Amino acid sequence: MKNKLLFLSSLVLVFIINLFAGNIDPYYYTILIYIGINIILASSLNLINGYTGQFSLGHAGFMAIGAYLSVSFSTYFAPFFIDTFGQGVFGNSISFIILLFIGGIAAAIAGIIVGVPSLRLKGDYLAITTLGFAEIIRVVIQSLDVVGASQGFRGAYIFENGMKAAMIPADMSSVPYVFYSVPKYTNFFWTFAFVVIIIFFISNLMSSSYGRGFLAVKDDEIAAESMGVNTTKFKVIAFVSGAFFAGIAGALYGHFNLYINPEDFNFLKSVEIVVMVILGGMGSMVGVIIAAVILTILPEFLRGIAEYRMIIYALLLIIMMLLRPQGLFGVQLRPKKKK
Amino acid sequence: MSLLEIQNCTMKFGGLTCVDSLNTHVGKDELVGMIGPNGAGKTTVFNIITGVYNPTGGDVLFKDKSVVPLKPYEVAEIGISRTFQNIRLFQSLSVRDNIRVSFVKSIKAGFFISTFHIGNYLKEEKEIEDKIDELLDIFGLLDVRDEYAVSLPYGEQRKVEIVRALATSPELLLLDEPAAGMNPTEKTELMSLIKMVKDKFKISILLIEHDMKVVMGVCERIIVLDYGKKIAEGNPEVIKNDPKVIEAYLGETHH
Repeated sequence: MKNKLLFLSSLVLVFIINLFAGNIDPYYYTILIYIGINIILASSLNLINGYTGQFSLGHAGFMAIGAYLSVSFSTYFAPFFIDTFGQGVFGNSISFIILLFIGGIAAAIAGIIVGVPSLRLKGDYLAITTLGFAEIIRVVIQSLDVVGASQGFRGAYIFENGMKAAMIPADMSSVPYVFYSVPKYTNFFWTFAFVVIIIFFISNLMSSSYGRGFLAVKDDEIAAESMGVNTTKFKVIAFVSGAFFAGIAGALYGHFNLYINPEDFNFLKSVEIVVMVILGGMGSMVGVIIAAVILTILPEFLRGIAEYRMIIYALLLIIMMLLRPQGLFGVQLRPKKKK
Repeated sequence: MSLLEIQNCTMKFGGLTCVDSLNTHVGKDELVGMIGPNGAGKTTVFNIITGVYNPTGGDVLFKDKSVVPLKPYEVAEIGISRTFQNIRLFQSLSVRDNIRVSFVKSIKAGFFISTFHIGNYLKEEKEIEDKIDELLDIFGLLDVRDEYAVSLPYGEQRKVEIVRALATSPELLLLDEPAAGMNPTEKTELMSLIKMVKDKFKISILLIEHDMKVVMGVCERIIVLDYGKKIAEGNPEVIKNDPKVIEAYLGETHH
């Protein structure tokens, strides 16, 4: 009961802050939204890499699926959403919830497709498989004209003859059209509502007896299996829930940036999310959230020193790993006993 | 009918025969010991029973059903639980949470109920909590329940492993060298502990052990393996005087 009360009051708090969010300087507002999106991404990867101990290196791939699918729906089917739900605050909210879930569920389905065969692999092998998957997604999007291919996607042209496209084809230049750009649905409320949701999702799940199955899988698969834990099932659940939230984060990102490009979801994005999880401390929720905040703000702070920015950023990561290899809030575990 | 029936079981790794046409059984409420020199195939037999390995020949029946096609977690579900030769406790979990893992298979609350904490969630969690405390109390581990399991002394870690195996409510418990690394006092304690477990929980136990004092002290029947073959079977008195067993352990007598 206390748990649900806290959850609802957090959502109300997010809602109230959102009422005053209009006064925030747009630059800070943008950073704030990216912080929220990065918290969702890092926490969802923490579920896979931190709690369940599976090394996934393809989180940007799931984010890409969520972003592209929900943005495609919100542009190609814009007339449908406008006709059905209208364009008031309430109608937009319903449209956006549907679009977010389209992104999340699509990413989750991709998670099942990738996860079921590849979660039998361990460590480096799983990392390489997931990395390969994310690259496939990116390359496929890069060659899909329907979402703008490598030029990126900013909206859909709906022609009078019923044709739909992301770019105006050469032979259609004389046909009248309506351009539906990506609607700017993402705001402080939606972003941080999902931050609250994922925090409660993970803490509720991990504090339950059922959730101990994930931690058991991380520590010792053989022992977990012998105690009746279906390790494959737990790995798939973690992987698919992680993918789901990455899809949501992608949908939030797309409807904030209003322009998505396959390069937004490249290998470096996946690495960035993994760095947040490792820096925060594998399996520590508070640590990962703080790392996500720091790693979003840090590059902004370093803007003043222009070209040396990324060197210092990398240097800070190296120093951090030397001083606290277990991460900001990670627990220093005793070395595994050998016999 | 026996609880566990091992029928003509063979396990080959490439050209190496680890277990060679083994026939034996474990009856209900029986405490059986399995001994043999290093590399005799004892742990391999455990791994076959628990579904880690699929035998290359023969069959293993538990309550008249074959366990060969089952995965390790399914074997745990039908009532076989084990401990490990090298302790395998979950290192990031407390003593209590180590044991809680054993309840994962029987929890009614699945993914959604555990996520949203709805329905009978709290009631069930309380029940599990009580069961864990009850078990820990029996083994005198209640005081250390919140410590990391791997931070405990060796003897207590062995105990936690036994409690964790018992928490899955098995009918057959497999103990893999429970006395390894224990001092004589701990061994004596372990012997009474094993007897207590068998009587209190009314389960069958199959025990691998090197320490003859422990094996002879608690087991009702002993199986002796050498190079994967069963060379003797019987009560402790018979085994002690079996020339084949003496030969396997002490080497051939030269005339």
